[in-house]
Amino acid sequence: MNAVHKTSHVAAASAAPILRTRNLTVRFDEFPAVRDVDLSIADGELRVIIGANGAGKSTLLDLLCGKTLPSEGEIWLHDRNITGIGEAAIARSGVGRKFQTPTVFKDMTVLENLQVASSRRVRVFQNLFERVKSGPSDKEIAVAERTGLLGSMKRKASELSHGQLQWLELAMVLSQDPKIILLDEPAAGMTAAETDKTAELLLDLAGGHTVLVIEHDMAFVRRICRTITVMHQGAVLAEGTAEEIECNPAVIEAYLGSATLSHA
Amino acid sequence: MTYRTASIIAYIVFFAVVLALPLVLNSFWTNRVAIYLVYSICAIGISMSWGYAGILSLGQGLFFGMGAYMLAMSLTLAVPDNNPVPQLMLLNMEPDAVRDLCCVTTGSFLWIPFRSVAVGMIAGIVVPCILAAGIGYVMFKRRTTGVYVSIITLAFALIGQLLIINNQPLTGGFNGLADLALLEIGGFEFDPYGPSAYYAVAFTLIVVILLARYMLAGRIGQVLKAIREDEARARYLGYDVENYKLFIFCVSAGVAGLAGMLFTLTSEFATPSLMATSLSISMVIWAATGGRASLLGACIGALIVNFVGSLASESATFQPVWPIILGLLFVVVVLFMPNGIAGIFKAFIERSGKAERFAKAELSAREA
Ligand SMILES: Nc1ncnc2c1ncn2[C@@H]1O[C@H](COP(=O)(O)OP(=O)(O)O)[C@@H](O)[C@H]1O
Ligand SMILES: [Mg+2]
Repeated sequence: MNAVHKTSHVAAASAAPILRTRNLTVRFDEFPAVRDVDLSIADGELRVIIGANGAGKSTLLDLLCGKTLPSEGEIWLHDRNITGIGEAAIARSGVGRKFQTPTVFKDMTVLENLQVASSRRVRVFQNLFERVKSGPSDKEIAVAERTGLLGSMKRKASELSHGQLQWLELAMVLSQDPKIILLDEPAAGMTAAETDKTAELLLDLAGGHTVLVIEHDMAFVRRICRTITVMHQGAVLAEGTAEEIECNPAVIEAYLGSATLSHA
Repeated sequence: MTYRTASIIAYIVFFAVVLALPLVLNSFWTNRVAIYLVYSICAIGISMSWGYAGILSLGQGLFFGMGAYMLAMSLTLAVPDNNPVPQLMLLNMEPDAVRDLCCVTTGSFLWIPFRSVAVGMIAGIVVPCILAAGIGYVMFKRRTTGVYVSIITLAFALIGQLLIINNQPLTGGFNGLADLALLEIGGFEFDPYGPSAYYAVAFTLIVVILLARYMLAGRIGQVLKAIREDEARARYLGYDVENYKLFIFCVSAGVAGLAGMLFTLTSEFATPSLMATSLSISMVIWAATGGRASLLGACIGALIVNFVGSLASESATFQPVWPIILGLLFVVVVLFMPNGIAGIFKAFIERSGKAERFAKAELSAREA
C-alpha cells in the first residue's frame, strides 16, 4: 500500500515521462533476474539497453509487456498503472513488443499478418460480422513500404528470410500504433546489409515514436543511440551517453571490457 | 479453375445432392441419411472449434446430448399419457408423492418450463452454450491449451453422462427418454421417416454451414487463425485470446446442441449414450477424415464415415471390427492426410490449375 501511494505521488510530480518503472523486481525461485529497476523514458526518446548475456534485459522487456509478472514494483504508462493488467490490455494501452526470435503468424500471408496487427477493433463482438479487405489499406501499404515488405505482401510468412521475419514483426508492432515500442535485439541474426537497414529504420522511427531497444553490438549502438542504460546482474549499472558509458570504469569492468573482446 | 471457384461449385453440388436425395430414397434410408446429416452438423461444430481455433474438444457429445435431451423432455411431456407427469417419474416416485411436476420426484420441477415445446427448442441451444461458457471460462481464463483442453472436456462429458444415468427419477436414467411425441410446429408434424424431418435437418445444415462460413471468412476467422498460429503474439497485439476461444467454443457447443435436437427429431429418443466418450471421439474422426479446417469437408467426412459404418454393421464380418477400423482410419488420417478429404481436393485443384496454366503458357509460346 505504502509503495503504491509513493509511486502515484512521484508519477504526478514528474515531468510526464511516457514510461516509468518503480522498484521493478522479478525473482525466479529466489534468483533476482531483474532488481529494483527505476526506469524513466521520455516521450519520443530512443533508449538503448545494453548488458552482458543474462543481465536481465529481455526479462525487463517481458515485465514491461506483461509476459512476466513482477515480484515487486510498478510500471506506469503516462499516468496509468499498467502493472498486472494482462498482456492484451497492456498492448491496447500502447505498448508494442518485438521479440528476440521473431513471432509472427507463419501460416498467414504478410498482408494478413499486418491486417491482424493493424486492426484496432480487437473485441470479439466488434469483429463478429466484420469483413476482411482483400487488398491492403493505405496504412498497411505505408508500414510495409517502411519495412521493405511491400513486394512480399502476398507471400506466406513461412517463406520469408530471417531478416524479413524480423521486419515483419517490427511492421506488425508499428501497425499497432503503440505509444512505446520495445525491441529485443532487432538486428540479431541479420546480415551486415540487413543490420544497416535496421539501423536506418530505427533512426527513422526515433522521430515519431518512443523506442526502447536492447542491443548487443556496440558499433550498432553508437550509430543509433542517444541515451544508454547498462544492466548488470539484473540491476541498472549506469545510464548516460555513449561516450559517458564507454569511459565509465564500472561499466568497463562489468561489461564493456569483455564485450569489446568478444565483439572485436 | 481457382480453388475458390472449385469450392463454390463443391458447395452447390453438395447442397443439390442433399436436397434431391429424398426423391430417390425409401423411408428407411431417408431417415438414415437424415441422421447422418445430423452428424454432419456435429462435424461442422468440431471444425469451427478445432479446425479454425485449434480447440480440440473431446466432450462435444455433452453438448449434443444436452440438445437432444432438451427437446426430448418437451416431446415427452407432449405425449398425452405423460401429462401432467411423465411415466418415468411415476415409476420412480415415492409412493406418497404428489402427482405433479412440481414435486413428484426430486428436481422434477426442472421439467415445468418444458411443457412448452418452444422452450425445449430454445433450451436445446442455450443450455449447451451456457455449459460451454462455464467450462470454457474455467479452462481458457486459466490458459489451458492443447491436450489438457481435450482431457477436461472429455471429463465433463463423462460427468454429464453419469449425472444423467444416476438420476433416473429425473432423467429416465440409463434408458433415457424414448416415449416421445412427434414434433409439431404450428399444426405441422415432422415425420422422422418422411421428407419433413429430413428437410428440417437439411435446411438447418445448409443455414448453419453458410452462416459459419460467412462468419469465419471474416475478421473473426482471421483472428482465430492467428490465435491458432501463435496465441501469445495475438495477445501482444491486444487481442483477448480467452474471449475469442470462449466465443468459438460456445458457438460450437450451440451447433452441437442444435444437432442434438435434430437427432431427437429423427431418432425419437435421447439416451446417456449420446454423451459417451466413443461418440465424442467419433465426431472428431468424422471432422478429421473430411478435413477439419474445411466446414464442407468435415460435413462430407461425417456422411462418408457413417455411411461406410452402416454398411459394415450389416456385414457379419465387418461389424465386430468396425470400431478398430475407425481407430485405424483416424491414425492414418492424422499421419498421412492432416487436411483430410478437403486437403486432397484442394491439392488436386491446385495441381490441375497449375497444369492448366502451364498448358496455356506452352500454347501461347508456340503461337508466338
Ligand atoms: N522464465 C525464467 N525462469 C527462470 N529463469 C529465467 C527466466 N527467464 C530468464 N531467466 C534468467 O534470468 C536471467 C536474465 O535473462 P535474460 O533477461 O534473458 O538476459 P538477457 O536478455 O540480458 O541476456 C538469466 O540468468 C536467465 O537464465
Ligand atoms: Mg535477451
